[in-house]
This record gives sequence, structure tokens and C-alpha cells, in this order.
Amino acid sequence: MWNYEKRLQFPVKITQPNAKLAQVIISQFGGPDGELAASMRYLSQRYSMPYNEVAGLLTDIGTEELAHMEMICAIVYQLTKDLSMDEIVASGFDKYYVDHTLALWPQSAGGVPFNACVFQSKGDAITDLTEDMAAEQKARTTYDNILRLVHDQEVCDPIRFLRAREIVHFQRFGEALRIVQDKLDSKNFYAFNPEFDRCKN
Amino acid sequence: MSHKMNAEQENMLRNIGIVDFVTVEMTEYLDTHPFDREAMEYFNHYMRMKNQMMRDYAVKYGPLSLSAADTCSKEWKWALQPMPWEGGC
Amino acid sequence: MQDYNFNEYFDRFPLAMAYVPWQHLTQIYEDLDKAYCTGTIFPELTKPFTGRRCVQ
Repeated sequence: MWNYEKRLQFPVKITQPNAKLAQVIISQFGGPDGELAASMRYLSQRYSMPYNEVAGLLTDIGTEELAHMEMICAIVYQLTKDLSMDEIVASGFDKYYVDHTLALWPQSAGGVPFNACVFQSKGDAITDLTEDMAAEQKARTTYDNILRLVHDQEVCDPIRFLRAREIVHFQRFGEALRIVQDKLDSKNFYAFNPEFDRCKN
Repeated sequence: MSHKMNAEQENMLRNIGIVDFVTVEMTEYLDTHPFDREAMEYFNHYMRMKNQMMRDYAVKYGPLSLSAADTCSKEWKWALQPMPWEGGC
Repeated sequence: MQDYNFNEYFDRFPLAMAYVPWQHLTQIYEDLDKAYCTGTIFPELTKPFTGRRCVQ
């Protein structure tokens, strides 16, 4: 189960509002490759994972992604909380504001509401870990794209932190896949699905 | 409303963030290297440090976790303190 | 034109599978504040983004 620590994993201290940036960065909250998607993906996949080390890793990274989701929400919140009505209208943020005021709601930058279709939990160890490696790369690319748009150091710092985490997670999921490979027959990794066809251990 | 922290509080909070970050990195490394003794010692060292720093912070500035929420009995600081997304981290 | 480097350990890395090399605990940043700002305690996993769009 989960505990909560009343602090952000990495500081977010933004003094300059920027509605246009907020509309883009919100994709890392509710978008297809965002932190909520990552968290739900890993936390969903872990139940049927027959290897404790891998289930443990999915739990730990899935939990860290919730902390990242919190950071993204803090960034969007701080970028929008002091906006004037003129700024809300001029930036196009009025389309979001009319439905949510200044509340955080998980959607992509394009307005697509968060939904489970953006991730898979396929129930095959190799498939799910490959999905997870792809997910970390997609998230990293999204952060690369955000960094090209951001010029404010206060926003860059937490974004760079989050981007670095994606690369570390990719390494970990890659190692988890190596662990799964070790447990299977290297002559044919695909002979059966270890989550379904045999008992654990 | 933004909460202004004094330099000491901000410093303590940042140091907790740093030390906790080390434990998170080590946890994930150990998940895929579960027999790495050196990594385990590293983790233990920084986890102990973090727990002590959390207790020290709670005494002065209020609890960061519910397990430290009993440090003050005059008011329910856990709810009354500013939230982390307000800009104080 | 050179071929891709096919000089691989076929016996250790069978086909139709992805392999990420194992990380070993060789280096941890001494300056933990720097590690925190970087986003990892491992220098080997530090891969900063320096891309710039340059349109001809």
C-alpha cells in the first residue's frame, strides 16, 4: 500500500506564469506518454509478473512515477495560478479554463482525456517489459520536445530532472528483461508465457 | 497562496530530497541487482540518514510523513501546513 | 560502404530479442547535490539533451 510524503521529489518553484507552456506540459500529466500513464502501466502489469524482482521494480518505478505526476501538476499549477483573464484569453487557455478553471485535469496537450488505451498490460513478461522500455523512451522524447520550447530556468530544472529519470528507468527495465531472459530457455524465449503457461518458480 | 520558508527550512527540505533521492536510485538498482552487497550498504546508510533528517525536520517545522505526525499535539500540523505544490517544495 | 558491425556474440545473444547491457556499480557522483540536479547518482547514466532545431 502507499504512504505519502508531504514534499515534491524535486523542487518546483516557478515565479513567472505562462499559460502557453502549461498547455503543453500538461501532456506529461494526462497525455499518452505522461507520468500518470507510466504509473498506471507499471502498477497494473506487476500483479501477474511471476518474478519478484521484476514485480518489485514495477512497483517501485510505478510509485516514483506518481511522484513525477505530482511534479508535473505542480508545474502546471504554478504556471497558471496567477493568470489574469486577459492572459487566459490571449493564450488560448480559455478552452481549458471554461471546463476546469485552474484545476488540474488529466488530458493531453491536444485535449484528449487520459484513458487506459494509451498503455497496455499484456500479461506476458517479455511483452510488458518491452512496452515499458518503449514507454520510457516516449516520455524522454516528450521531455526533449518540451525542452526545445522552454527558456525559463525555473521550468527547465525540474523538466531536466524528470527527463533524466526516464533514461535511468529504461536501463532498469532493460535489466529486468535480462533477468526474465535468464529464467527462460535461450534457445526459444517465446516457447511459452511464464505468466500463464506454468506456475511461478 | 505561496508559503515563504526561511533559509534553514528550505535547506533541510532540500537535503532530505537529496538523501531520499539516493535511496530511490539505490532501491531501483537493487531491484535488478538484488545481491549487490555494496549497493545494499549504500542504501542502508542513506536510508538511516533520511529517517533521522525527517525526524529532525518534523520537530522544527512539522511532519513530512504521517509517521512523524505525533510530534505536535497542539494542532493537526499535517493538514494545516502548506501543500508541497505551493512553491515551497 | 561498411556493413553494420555484425561482430556479435551470437551464442550469448540469441536473435529476436532485445538486450540492454548490465550496469555495474562503478561510479557514483561524489557531489550528491549535483547528482540531484542531474537526475541520477550514476555518471554513466547521465545523457543530457543538447538538441537544437536548425532549419536550412
